[in-house]
Amino acid sequence: MSREKSFASKKRHERMADTFCLVLVIVMAIIVMIPIWWIFRSSLMTNAELFQWPPTFLPPNWLFSNYKEALVYFPFWDYFKNTMTIIIPSVLGGTFTATLGGYAFARLRFPGKKFLFSLCVGSMLLPTMVTLIPLYVMWTRGFHLANTYWPLILPYFCGGGAFNIFLIRQFISSIPKELDEAATIDGAGKFRILFHILLPSIKSAMIVVALLLFIQIWNDLLQQMIYINTSDKFTIAIGLSQFKGSLKSDWSAIMCATCMSFIPGVIFYLIGQKYFVEGIALTGMKN
Amino acid sequence: MKKQHKKKMHKDEVIVAYICLIPSIIGLIFLTYVPLAAVLGLSLTKWEGVGTPEWVGLANYVKLFTTDPYFVDSIKVTIYFSLIAVMGSMVYSLAVALLLNRKIPARGFFRAVFYLPYVLPAMAVYIGWSWLYEANFGLFNYVLSLLGIHKLKFIASSELVVPSLALIAVWLSGNLIVIFLAGLQNVPRVYHEAAEIDGANAWQKFTNVTIPCMTPIIFYNLLMALITNMQVVTPALALTQGGPGNSSRFISYVMYQYAFKSGKFSYACAISFVSFLLIGVFTVILFATSKSWIFYEGGDD
Repeated sequence: MSREKSFASKKRHERMADTFCLVLVIVMAIIVMIPIWWIFRSSLMTNAELFQWPPTFLPPNWLFSNYKEALVYFPFWDYFKNTMTIIIPSVLGGTFTATLGGYAFARLRFPGKKFLFSLCVGSMLLPTMVTLIPLYVMWTRGFHLANTYWPLILPYFCGGGAFNIFLIRQFISSIPKELDEAATIDGAGKFRILFHILLPSIKSAMIVVALLLFIQIWNDLLQQMIYINTSDKFTIAIGLSQFKGSLKSDWSAIMCATCMSFIPGVIFYLIGQKYFVEGIALTGMKN
Repeated sequence: MKKQHKKKMHKDEVIVAYICLIPSIIGLIFLTYVPLAAVLGLSLTKWEGVGTPEWVGLANYVKLFTTDPYFVDSIKVTIYFSLIAVMGSMVYSLAVALLLNRKIPARGFFRAVFYLPYVLPAMAVYIGWSWLYEANFGLFNYVLSLLGIHKLKFIASSELVVPSLALIAVWLSGNLIVIFLAGLQNVPRVYHEAAEIDGANAWQKFTNVTIPCMTPIIFYNLLMALITNMQVVTPALALTQGGPGNSSRFISYVMYQYAFKSGKFSYACAISFVSFLLIGVFTVILFATSKSWIFYEGGDD
């Protein structure tokens, strides 16, 4: 009897804890979203409305025409096209070469494997800032590729980053080896195994890698700034910084440009989200 | 006969492996380890982008630590920023992951919400936040005024600029949440059940089961967050230009300015190498202490 009672009280206790956590999550989610809302609502207001005290939480008039005006000075589509010229080949190349590397480390036996793998993991700890100058010298003086997109794209065809190789390796390791063995008996070569047997099962990991690469390139303002000099080649990130620099206090237009820059990443994330969470969770991250 | 066949198969395997690894090997050699050696080499010379580098030994390093007006302060600023940003984002993301790991409705939606800031382009994020931090009409000052607190200058104030930027870094740490969440889902259920049978309450379960099982992931996140934040440069590039004064002049930004604004490449290489050593020291410390606090399931590995 008393046990039952304690069980019931425990249940109630737990339900209360669940409700409390839910409320907490909602409050935190709202706090996290407020900056984005504030930026968005500012993009729909006039500057006169923005510089009013107290500020309003909702725009008095939803001025979507602000975007049209901002587009006159902020050639978003050109910047977008330039950014995609960098991102699409880089993401494809990075995902592909990371998959090849991850496969070799997960499944194949070859001399020097341990050594190469530790070099690879070691490079994960190496800050990218450190090698920036020699790489800049190499690309601009050695290969004469200043003010082109090549220095931004080509590195992604060289392994796609140690973390991504590692991620794919973890993923392939979690697939039962018997699958490969069965295929080998059926006469499939190593590449066939990778492309026909393993690739379909590591699709979500590859999408994770693609998304991570996308975000990484998207955010890499510094490298874009040092390699790209002329405005016809500007990416969204550089374009935005120039736009901000030239307008200073036309916050309504700046917020329009900011919101426009948010959109591609959000769309890409929403498309990949399902795979993304599944992918990260499946890797287990059991270093 | 059979042995020979096996040998041939293994040879094929080796060839395939090296073909697969060609891109990665090229990357590791020419984009990682050779440039690392080149940084050290160049830093021992005087070279401003033209002519041949002239050997000067440790002169660049001596200059950095004795007469450079920015460098020593930039180390302090970078470490200060990293400490706040790393601690803040670790606590925030672990807390959110713990909450999201419970049975709450619409979990996928909330997970997306907390992850969202991470997928936004950094440049746009900093510009957006600079408006939130605006001294007179910004959101934060509005909230402060509602609480009856005087307006603050945030990124325009030399005391508050670093904490303000660190807050943005915390907001951006959605990727840590996803990794923590994956880790939490791998904590074996049986441990919790065993603890429950022994009469442990929620807090005891958290400190004695969840946290120990999570230590490898905490370590991983800590390491990655540290390496990322020690290289911080985007907020200075996008927003503060190192100011006000030198209060947000991070190491990487100083390096960027010397190399790409003044063309002092070899001098900037010395900065790169010091920052490499600095991050290395922190990494080594982390690894050295990790043995004492990381709990590995099964003992090996």
